[in-house]
Amino acid sequence: MKSQQAANRPDNTAFTQQRLPAWQPMLSAHFVIPGFLLIGMAFIGIGVALYITSQNIQVLEKDYTGTGQYTACSECADMQTIPCICNVTFSLTTLFTGPVFLYYGLSNYYQNYRKYQVSRDDVQLWGDVTKSPGDACAPYQYIDNKPIAPCGSIANSMFNDTFSLYQIINGTMKLVPLDGKGIAWWTDYNIKFRNPSAQGSLQDAFNGTMKPVNWSKPAYELNPSDMNDNGFLNQDFLVWMRTAALPDFQKLYRRITSGDYALGLPPGDYVLQIEYNYAVKDFGRKKVVFSNVTWMGGKNEFLGVAYIVVGSLCLVMSVVMLVVYAKYKFADENA
Amino acid sequence: DNVIRSYKYSALTFLPLSLFEQFQRIANIYFLCIVVLQFQSIPAISTLPWYTTMIPLLTVLSVRGFKDLADDLARRHSDSQINRQPCDLLTNESFTSVQWKDVCVGDVLRLHKDQTADLLLLTTTEPHSLCYIETSDIDETNLKIRQALAVTHQELSSDPIEPSLLAFDCEEPNSHLHSFKGVLEWRDMRHLLDTGHILLRGTVLRNTRVAYGLTIYTLDSKILQNCGQTAVKTTQVERTLNKVVVGIVLLVLLFALLLAVGAGIFEARVAPGIEALAELGGRYTPVYKVFLTFWGYIILLSPSMPMSLYIRFELVHVIHSLFIGWDLDLYDGGVDVPAHARSTTLNEELGQVRYLLSDKTGTLTENRLIFRQCCVAGVLYPLDLSWNPFSCGGLQFSDKRLVDTLRKPGSPDVREFFKALALCHTVMAEWKDQAASPDEETLVGAARELGWVFLSRTRDSMTLSELGHRRQYQLLALLDFTSQRRRMSVLRDPEGELKLYCKGADIVILERLRKDSTYCESTEKALEQVFSQGCLRTLCVAVRSVQEGLWEEWSRALELAAMTTGASDDLYDNMERELTLLGVTAIEDQLQVGVPETIATLRQAGIKVWVLTGDKKTAVNVGFACRLLDPGTRLLQGEELVEFEEQPELGKRFIALSRQCQAVLCCRTTPSQKAGVVQLIRKYTSSITMAIGDGANDVNMIKAHIGVGLNGLEGGQAVQNADFSLAKFHFLRKLLLVHGRWSYRRISVFLRYFLYKTSSFAFVHVWFAFCNGFSGQPMYETWFITLYTVLYTSFPVQCLAVFEQQDVSAEGSLRWPSLYQLGVGRQLFNPRLLAGTFLYSIYTSLVLFFLPLSVFCFSAIDFQTFSITVATASVFTSTTETGYWTMFNVAAIVFSMSMYFLATLILHSPLLHTIAPADFYFLAFQNAFASPLVWLTVLLTTCTAVLPSLAARALLLVLNPPDT
Repeated sequence: MKSQQAANRPDNTAFTQQRLPAWQPMLSAHFVIPGFLLIGMAFIGIGVALYITSQNIQVLEKDYTGTGQYTACSECADMQTIPCICNVTFSLTTLFTGPVFLYYGLSNYYQNYRKYQVSRDDVQLWGDVTKSPGDACAPYQYIDNKPIAPCGSIANSMFNDTFSLYQIINGTMKLVPLDGKGIAWWTDYNIKFRNPSAQGSLQDAFNGTMKPVNWSKPAYELNPSDMNDNGFLNQDFLVWMRTAALPDFQKLYRRITSGDYALGLPPGDYVLQIEYNYAVKDFGRKKVVFSNVTWMGGKNEFLGVAYIVVGSLCLVMSVVMLVVYAKYKFADENA
Repeated sequence: DNVIRSYKYSALTFLPLSLFEQFQRIANIYFLCIVVLQFQSIPAISTLPWYTTMIPLLTVLSVRGFKDLADDLARRHSDSQINRQPCDLLTNESFTSVQWKDVCVGDVLRLHKDQTADLLLLTTTEPHSLCYIETSDIDETNLKIRQALAVTHQELSSDPIEPSLLAFDCEEPNSHLHSFKGVLEWRDMRHLLDTGHILLRGTVLRNTRVAYGLTIYTLDSKILQNCGQTAVKTTQVERTLNKVVVGIVLLVLLFALLLAVGAGIFEARVAPGIEALAELGGRYTPVYKVFLTFWGYIILLSPSMPMSLYIRFELVHVIHSLFIGWDLDLYDGGVDVPAHARSTTLNEELGQVRYLLSDKTGTLTENRLIFRQCCVAGVLYPLDLSWNPFSCGGLQFSDKRLVDTLRKPGSPDVREFFKALALCHTVMAEWKDQAASPDEETLVGAARELGWVFLSRTRDSMTLSELGHRRQYQLLALLDFTSQRRRMSVLRDPEGELKLYCKGADIVILERLRKDSTYCESTEKALEQVFSQGCLRTLCVAVRSVQEGLWEEWSRALELAAMTTGASDDLYDNMERELTLLGVTAIEDQLQVGVPETIATLRQAGIKVWVLTGDKKTAVNVGFACRLLDPGTRLLQGEELVEFEEQPELGKRFIALSRQCQAVLCCRTTPSQKAGVVQLIRKYTSSITMAIGDGANDVNMIKAHIGVGLNGLEGGQAVQNADFSLAKFHFLRKLLLVHGRWSYRRISVFLRYFLYKTSSFAFVHVWFAFCNGFSGQPMYETWFITLYTVLYTSFPVQCLAVFEQQDVSAEGSLRWPSLYQLGVGRQLFNPRLLAGTFLYSIYTSLVLFFLPLSVFCFSAIDFQTFSITVATASVFTSTTETGYWTMFNVAAIVFSMSMYFLATLILHSPLLHTIAPADFYFLAFQNAFASPLVWLTVLLTTCTAVLPSLAARALLLVLNPPDT
């Protein structure tokens, strides 16, 4: 209770008197210098671990654009014969530890170009092919007034080279089984994309729609070998629709996980048979990449190096501060 | 009618008016344009959907709208309180109580104590229709006499009123408080009216039971005319900020232009080669595409404009103001008055004051006066009253000689001296609560103690008890005291003899003495030597015998002058000459507690303290007593100030000279000159000045820039007009050195941090443009952009602005006043530092973009994961820039980060996607945050982004360790 005379007396609390207890991490040199030292060491530690992990990742890249310095698939580069099959051969001297992932890579391909990236209809891809495709899909909205499904430029430009891998054993080509299951994101497969539902087959569901201009087959026939891998839920389609961050990118194509190759690709000669459909020579290049992965994903030397550099900077800082501090103290004591 | 309407809005007009006002701010207009741009359907322009700008804009508009509404409701409330005040109005020969708002011009009112309007006084219940009004709300002297015209007095006290016979003519409403001209016609007689016949609104009726008056002005009353629009004071920091905002807009335009050029090159050279892109451009020409891209980038970069900054800036100001009011160190328990920040826009300027201009009386001193010494007939009598600073009753004589002299018959000079003290004043005998003027009360009190007791006063007579003998004097004229004249006189008729007693400032009186005046030399010597050593305020008392003929001639001339010009000062001058000096009084005004220490501290802090006073040389003594003066002090007088106003060149040179001085003392300044000095300083130095005072005569000065009012004895005018009010002068030390310094520091850091966080976040788009063909692709999810400033990063920066005090504690600020120079030198918010902040935000945006880019380059990482990585690093970078971790800061950071993750989780939830697949198409939360690579990249990016600032701060700390 305030007395009558002191009715206007302010409250005496830590908050009103601005005396809140506070922790100042930068309280003294005794804290700051070891702090920087510790952060630096931790970063260098992480960096070294990342670098070593990355060094252990095996990567095999094969450019098959067919132009310039790489001659593989040069017979197909002019896109005259359709379909054009070409081979890329390589040999392994050591075991390529599994599971081996097979990626295709495109460069200078602006999947993050704004008008390209919005050129899709998420409602349609969620299974509603009866509605008219969104304006963003233009100019891949309609053909003959029939909606294109899937509409838009992303779908239309879907990567359509196909790969099959053979190991050459005693002159015969042994097919390496490529696993295309589960290469897309779980959320894409289960939530974001849905096939249109209809009585009967998937084909009936797509009734009344047109296939994208550049596609040779309609959406419901994307994977003839697996009936469940068709329509909007086709794994390759899902991977393609998850647009890349940067102009140079890779996308997962297959994994090698089964049979004799579950532990990896044994040493030997291999032939990668490519059905060359996708034209890139006007703007960039394409390649296939074999890689095994660790907990941190694919090979990534930059991250480890960057950690080491930043950690070293912290160490340098702490040394500089130590010197300054010593000088300051020294001068102080002399004074 | 008399209805006061200071509120602005009605239910109907609130929305349009409020919006109209808000859209006068350039930032709001800018964002409105952005929203309009976003609403059209060309995808190249609407790079971000409408809600990214609309939601923050609506938030800002509605918060501001609510604030205006609350203010307006408060105004309505106070209006209706004024309007509903009761008053007695004459209707059909009786008085009925009506509300104030129903009063009209020409109404006859019956006034009791307190409130008056602008009235012509008709009659009062006091003898001769006198009445007393307290004018402390209007000017410096508190109590004034007003008197009704003799004719109305006589007629109305005897006969019933016939108001219809009254005809009344007066000048148009104006703002001159001290002049009035009018004519009253009554039964074919014309009576001139002047300011002595009217009561003004804002004055208070005292010592008068009932007064009757005729309403002259209602809504255009003089006092309302006087409170003109107070200029809105904006701070130097805010002006800089406005320039920065304009700079950001220009920069956004420049970036957008350059990126549009880039887009043109891309569209012409690269895009046609990529089949998937070539088709998309379609029907537009490249130039048109460039044009669209330009606008697209304007929208995309618009988040770099700190839209909510102004409103948060205001909030910070309000909190800082509350801290001032909450401070126990600024609370005076004796009078139960806490400090109060009346203006909530000037806090940071408290930390930047270079010139402190102080009033003397009541500000540096207590304004409790003690009669210390007197010099009568050339003999000096010290009165030692120091044992009791509140002595008003019993005087303790230390000098027996004075009493002896008084009791001894035949010492006319001494007796005349005290008689003069008892007669020449405007004190009301009945009125004991407050002194009209503290000086007079002290002098009359001293005379009373020594035997000359002032008993009573009527309009034209005064009664004294002179050493036990009761005598009545006839009062013929009263030549009033004004701040220009600085003297007053009384004419009276004791036993047929006419005498003029005059009391006033020493040089005014001394130059009016008779040539052969005795004791002149010894008195002047006493003045020079003795009185001036203590901080004594001196008044000279003189007398003149007036010939009957001269009096009649003079009074006729005065009457004539009153009827024509109203200028009577020359006439007064004619009468107040040929004086004979009686003696000198010396009153001590004690310094307030802690004044010398405070001034010394402030000077150590680099603040130049100027004292502006209406007083004369005694000010110098106060100056020495306050440790203000050393031999380097320049003394200025009012006359010299007039010259500065006339000759700008002189003023410039004076300011240049005063820069060399540590302290300046301006004596004999009028209120307007005080304000003039403030303006002079501001004109030639562009420094921040603060004026502190306690009386109505300081109001001009207080209004001129930052003003501090002291809750002193001299009425509430200073406090009413001040930006900050304090109870004691020495509180200024903590107000400036602690609150001011903190406010400046916090606000500077807050603003720079805010600019850093918005621009570093937005400029990522510029770098990303180089990787997406200048296509206007946003780096972030649109929801992230919408919520970034509002939800994810606003609380830590807000907490920083409230709690930051990491450099030096309150005690440290007071112990090392020189730290204050940081604010005076604008070292925390200046173009150089802002440029640094800006470069740092560019650096951060580069790190935010290019580190993740380098990690993810050539990898299978998709755009959404990349976007989330950059966004997370951006939130982390923008929230952790804190050095002073109170629990609120920690809570704010934890809250912000949890809000970020929670909101992202919700916005990426399957449920929302089910509801609106097109708006919630980012479903990357699960995958992105499950990836160690993303976390490692976020950690690396955040650390690299904050490393320079962290290292700089650490290095500073090692170089200047905080004293413990």
